[in-house]
This record gives sequence, C-alpha cells and structure tokens, in this order.
Amino acid sequence: MDPYEIEFIGENRLVSVIPNFTYDKIYLICGEFGPFRAGLPMNVPLWLAVMLKQKQKCRIVPPDWMDIDALETIKEAEKTSRFFTKMPNEHYMVEAKLILGAAAEDIPRAGEIKTIIKDIWDIRMSKLRTSMDTLMKSGGSYGRLDHLTMMEINSVKPLLPSAMDDLLRIQSMAKKTIQPSLNTSSFSQSGSSQNI
Amino acid sequence: MDFNDQIESSGDEEEITAEAVLKTLYNAWQNERLSPEILPHCNEMVECMLGQIQHMERNINKLPKTDLRASIHKMELSRIKYIICNYLRARLCKIEKHCIPIINEERQRIESGTNYLTPSEYKYAQEYLLNMEGHFKSVVLDKVPGNMQTFEMNKMAIYPNLQSHVFLKANETVNGVVLDLPGEQDEEIDLEEGSQHILLYKPVADLVKSGKVQLI
Repeated sequence: MDPYEIEFIGENRLVSVIPNFTYDKIYLICGEFGPFRAGLPMNVPLWLAVMLKQKQKCRIVPPDWMDIDALETIKEAEKTSRFFTKMPNEHYMVEAKLILGAAAEDIPRAGEIKTIIKDIWDIRMSKLRTSMDTLMKSGGSYGRLDHLTMMEINSVKPLLPSAMDDLLRIQSMAKKTIQPSLNTSSFSQSGSSQNI
Repeated sequence: MDFNDQIESSGDEEEITAEAVLKTLYNAWQNERLSPEILPHCNEMVECMLGQIQHMERNINKLPKTDLRASIHKMELSRIKYIICNYLRARLCKIEKHCIPIINEERQRIESGTNYLTPSEYKYAQEYLLNMEGHFKSVVLDKVPGNMQTFEMNKMAIYPNLQSHVFLKANETVNGVVLDLPGEQDEEIDLEEGSQHILLYKPVADLVKSGKVQLI
C-alpha cells in the first residue's frame, strides 16, 4: 500500500482540538462530534482537526505523548531494548507529521519534538533492518512483529515479503530437484530387476 | 435542526450503525488490497454505505454553500467514496488478472451458495474472458495454421500466488495455525489477540475470510 494510504487510515484517529467558534453537534457517518464550544477542548478525527486548522477555526491540543520528556524516555527505552518497544500511539509518525505540519505553532518546542520523533523512527528502522537480515539469513518464513506500527511495516513491504517468497520458492525447488533424482535411481533399479 | 434529525432517523432504521458499516468497509478494503487472492464480497455493506452517501448528499444540497457543516460533510463523503472506489477497483484488478481460475472456482461456489463475487462482478469476469478470447482470436489465432488455432484456456490461466507472505494482526486468539513449510516438519504457531506476524498467506486464508485476523 502507498504511504499516503496509511496516512489516510491514521487520519481517522481522534485528537483533541479547541475550536474558536460555537456550533451544534455534527452527525457524521463515522460518529457524532460536538457540540463545539469556543475555548473548550473536544475530540475530533485527525482529518477534521487538520481541516479546521487550515480554515483557522481551531487550535490543536498536543497529544499527551507529544512531549519532550515522554519522548526522551521512549527514545532511551528504544535504544536499550533489544526488541521493539510499544509506541504510545499506533500511528505516531502520521500524527506527528500531520500535526507538526499543519499546526506547528500549537505545539510547544515543535522543532525539538520533530527531531526526537525522527530519532525514534531511525532507531526503530535500523532495528527492523537488522532483524530482517537475521530472519532472511536463518531462512525463516515466519516472524513476529509486535509493537511495530503500520507505517513501519509498510516501509518494508516492497522488500521483505517478496524476498521471503523467493526464498520459499528456492527452498521448494531445491526439495523438488533432490527428490526426483532419488526416484529415478529407484525406478531404474526396479526396472532392471523386472527385466531379469 | 431538520438536517440533523433526518440523519439520525436514517441511522436508526438500520440494525447496525453507519459507523460500524464504515469500520467493516475499512477492514474489507485493507484485506482486499493486501491479500493475493480475491476475498468474499461485502456488497451489502457497500450498498448500505452508498445509500447513506446519497441520503447525506441530498441533505447537504439543502444547506447554504458557505455553511461549515456542508464542507465537513463533503470532506467525509469524499473520504468514504475513496475507500469504496479503491476497494471495488482492487477487486476488479484481481478479477482481470486471475480471470480464468476465478471463474472456474466461482462456478462451484455459486452451486454451493458461497459465492465470492457479486452477480455484476461475475458477469464482468465472464465478459472480460470472452472479450479476451475474441481479441486473441482476431489478432493472432485466426491467422496461424489450423492446428494451432485452439484457445487453450488452461495455459492462459494466471493463478494467484497463495504461497506469498503477508503481514497480519490477530483480532482474536487463534491457536495451532499449522505452517506447512517445504523441507521442514510442520510448525505450529499460536496467534494471540493483538499480536502481529509475517507468515504465509495460505495457512491463514480462512482466518482472513472469517475476520479472525486482519491483514496489515
């Protein structure tokens, strides 16, 4: 799938906004939101938050995890752990990109946050590449990927599954070529014994 | 107010909420995009959502153009339409690619009443095959010596590769999924609820169809 499609899925997550207008409840197909009260925080899907922000009708409240200290802790945990740690948010990269892109002025220390999130992403991606390498070298055709987010999984999709497909094909070809040679030898033996 | 009331009442008529239908469509779209073979259709959901969209569009037209609600609703509808179009297109793509095996398998499934294609998709598949055959005949086969003129359906068939690897997340715990690997003894694994894996599509194909796992 395209990274934009993952972003599209991530846009359905709820974020908190503070609208600067007052309006009744709105009944969308994906649920009802509101009532909008100027100055009071409320939850809306991310796509709606970005849209309202672009129309300058709200401020986006930074999600709890989008905080320097919290992110530093995650970064340290990610560095020390051999495995992937659980991210505070299944679509952290999408949320960070969209919120920091559309509403950087609503987030305190947006620049630093961007850098830390990028660091976390880089650590996780290099870990992912190492584990892919190990998986391929061990000739495995099964792997467990807990705590990886959709965007991270998607980034290895052009490579990992097809490499594993090819490996499997080679393994089954190897098996097939060994077996017939055994068969033919047993055939010729039985054939010759019949002739005699 | 009138606008909101109408939408609410239309939601009440359905046994499941529009929200739940949308969720199902999202999952079906994701599965369809990521699985190597065609999956059972969810036409009822698509039809239901299209009905909702039409209803919503009629109501939006009653609102003044500059109304904020109108633009929010329009945005949501565009998003849903995108999902539906993309879902149906992904299915048509597979139907065109694996046309011959799909028609053959579908014939048996129709007899047992477990069809994967909607009637119109089935018709599309059959017409596509006929057109393809006609095209090959008029372009090549009619012009070659008589003993080579037969259209060999089986040699033309492209089968979906069920031995490909997919990523999945377990919606519920499934124990004892058997991975039949070549050259090794069968390995059994357990999929715990919420866990994520990469493995062969074939052993989990039924779990995808029954919704016990979600492709990611």
